[in-house]
Amino acid sequence: MNILRQAFVIARRDFISIVATPTFLLFLLAPLMMLGFAMVGGASAGQLVEAAGSQERIVAIVPQSERAAYAAVDARLRPISGGPAGPPQLILIPADADHRGALAAFRADADVLAILEGSAASPRILERKGEGFPGRYLASLAEAVAREGGSAASTQPVSRPAFETIAASGTGRAAQSGLGYAAVFAIFLLTLLLAGQTVGMLAEEKGNKVIEILAAAVPLESVYFGKLVGMLGVALLFVSFWGLLIGAGALVAINQLPQQAISALALEPAIGWPAFLGFGLVYFFMAFLLLGGVFLGVGALAGTVREIQMLSLPITFFQIGMFALSTAAANAPGTQVATIAQWLPWSSPFAMAALGATDASIWPHLFALGWQALWVGLTIWVGVRLFRAGVLRSGGSWWPWAKSAPPATPDPVY
Amino acid sequence: MDQPVVLAEGLVKHFGAYRAVEGVSLSVAPGAVYGVLGPNGAGKTTTLRMLLGIIDPDLGSCRLLGSPRPRSVATRVGYLPEERGLYPGMTARESIAFMGALRGLPRPEGLVRADARLATLGLAHAAKQKVRRLSKGMSQMVQLVGALVHDPELIVLDEPFSGLDPVNQERLERMILAERDRGATIILSTHVMAHAQRLCDRVAIIAGGQRRFEGTVEDARAMLPLGVRYRPRESADAASLAALLPSDAQQRDGEWRFTLPDDGVEPLLAALVAGHHGVEGLSIERPGLHEAFVKIVGETHDERHAATMEQAA
Repeated sequence: MNILRQAFVIARRDFISIVATPTFLLFLLAPLMMLGFAMVGGASAGQLVEAAGSQERIVAIVPQSERAAYAAVDARLRPISGGPAGPPQLILIPADADHRGALAAFRADADVLAILEGSAASPRILERKGEGFPGRYLASLAEAVAREGGSAASTQPVSRPAFETIAASGTGRAAQSGLGYAAVFAIFLLTLLLAGQTVGMLAEEKGNKVIEILAAAVPLESVYFGKLVGMLGVALLFVSFWGLLIGAGALVAINQLPQQAISALALEPAIGWPAFLGFGLVYFFMAFLLLGGVFLGVGALAGTVREIQMLSLPITFFQIGMFALSTAAANAPGTQVATIAQWLPWSSPFAMAALGATDASIWPHLFALGWQALWVGLTIWVGVRLFRAGVLRSGGSWWPWAKSAPPATPDPVY
Repeated sequence: MDQPVVLAEGLVKHFGAYRAVEGVSLSVAPGAVYGVLGPNGAGKTTTLRMLLGIIDPDLGSCRLLGSPRPRSVATRVGYLPEERGLYPGMTARESIAFMGALRGLPRPEGLVRADARLATLGLAHAAKQKVRRLSKGMSQMVQLVGALVHDPELIVLDEPFSGLDPVNQERLERMILAERDRGATIILSTHVMAHAQRLCDRVAIIAGGQRRFEGTVEDARAMLPLGVRYRPRESADAASLAALLPSDAQQRDGEWRFTLPDDGVEPLLAALVAGHHGVEGLSIERPGLHEAFVKIVGETHDERHAATMEQAA
């Protein structure tokens, strides 16, 4: 009988023993109780989007001769324009032979709110929203530059801009970062609910002495993997339940909202929705297997409920640490922190899920999944040996301290 | 001769400074009921765990059903551990089917067999009861059925009689013999010699982590001289009677017990008759496994005690 079939027998038992209890209903409805927690997360996401708002820009593609004048006028007008937040950051690009390519790129970037090109006297202004502030600000810059270069005494406007509205093509960087944060938060919430439960799973077997029956009949790798898969089944049920509820709610909402509002709400992760959701689900599995594997291994060494409770605190800190690292990565894609979070096995699933929101490349995900799978195997391997050494008091000598404890068997009595 | 079902050579297992098993070797023939006997803490359970591959020996080798990797033949083995364990939330029949499934028996087949075997044991009413509602004895029978449900070739039972009432002990003995008749090989550990004497073809006595004896029950009993049980008339004077009996004679329940003298019982009988003590009953008996066990284990204890004293000195 192969290791997977044996693991399935254990997974099935665990799945049924968890699901077929009244307390599972409480567990299933736990997200309602965690709504407050989610709202805190939502507030954080809001702050994130606000912070990312500083990535919004306006662009002026101007003749080299006017570039210094634009910079000077911007420095003069910026403090007195657009309220406390001021106008978006101005990017000045010299109008040369290559600027068409830059223009196309800026048109596609949803964080670029308005683009000015041409001379100050007759500029062409492309803006996302008709008669929006960014476009008006660029027009006022052109007027000031044109006045400085021409007759300052004229009371008539000397600059005659032509406005064009360009459609928003794609989702802005800020919104994508928000999506990445949401992915990290959702995976974190689910693993927080589920992976933590694995800590006590082997303690149950030790408590009711079933562990020896399992250990005699199947390899401990099967026991470990079976327990993780059983819990993953619970997780799938949980995700399906809430996925269906949320999906149905979203469908109803879409049918009720006007088309314009739906267009305004439409977000698109860089990698596209199907891949984003698909990878997100796989990353959730990986996060669960990685964290669950660690917790199962650590929990296997606990002999009592009290010891498990003692272990819960460092385990929660560990989870929160991984979450914090991953949110930092979601907030600052492409930075060193993001790279560390993507490579560190226990934060990698979170950070990579966030990366899918802001980076369209597929290959990093395939590589990351391979890397994470390797660590899942390694975690189970180490956990099994830790268990054999610490609990069954057997196995190799690579973990010598685990064998130094006195045996459970009492001294001979004659 | 058939290949041994279990062949262990020089098994050694230390837990830190504690020497649990020191060089135990066993050979169990197919179809035998083999007893691993020993006092508490002798190393029986550790030996069985090593045989089954649950723990690795520090030294020595073991072949189970011809395989040097005991776990690779786990589906052909049934095991009842010393520490009984079932999931309290499962029903009796589900528990049995689960244990069968762990050993490769398809679950539906396991459920059918569970119902049939529980009915045979008169426990049909318990089949759909949760384990937490069963009595200790019933739970133990459920676990035993779980260990046997997949018709294993080798059955290892660690202290199977512990915690059972006499009725269930009798029932278990019948089950063990039925499994032997089916062709299974059975290894059982116990420190209750009466069961071993009735069931086992061969026994190994382990004490202090070492094998002190290996052979048939008769071989073990033959290690002790024949004993005499003598019951005098009620009017007999104990003091004068003791003077006539061998020096190892001990009185218990109105009966004297002593080793058969080298010159037989006849001279003693003549002296008793001459002393007017009379003979109400007299029998010459081969000592049981219990006495052989006590002697073997007692010697081990004496040896260890002497060694400890020597070290202390």
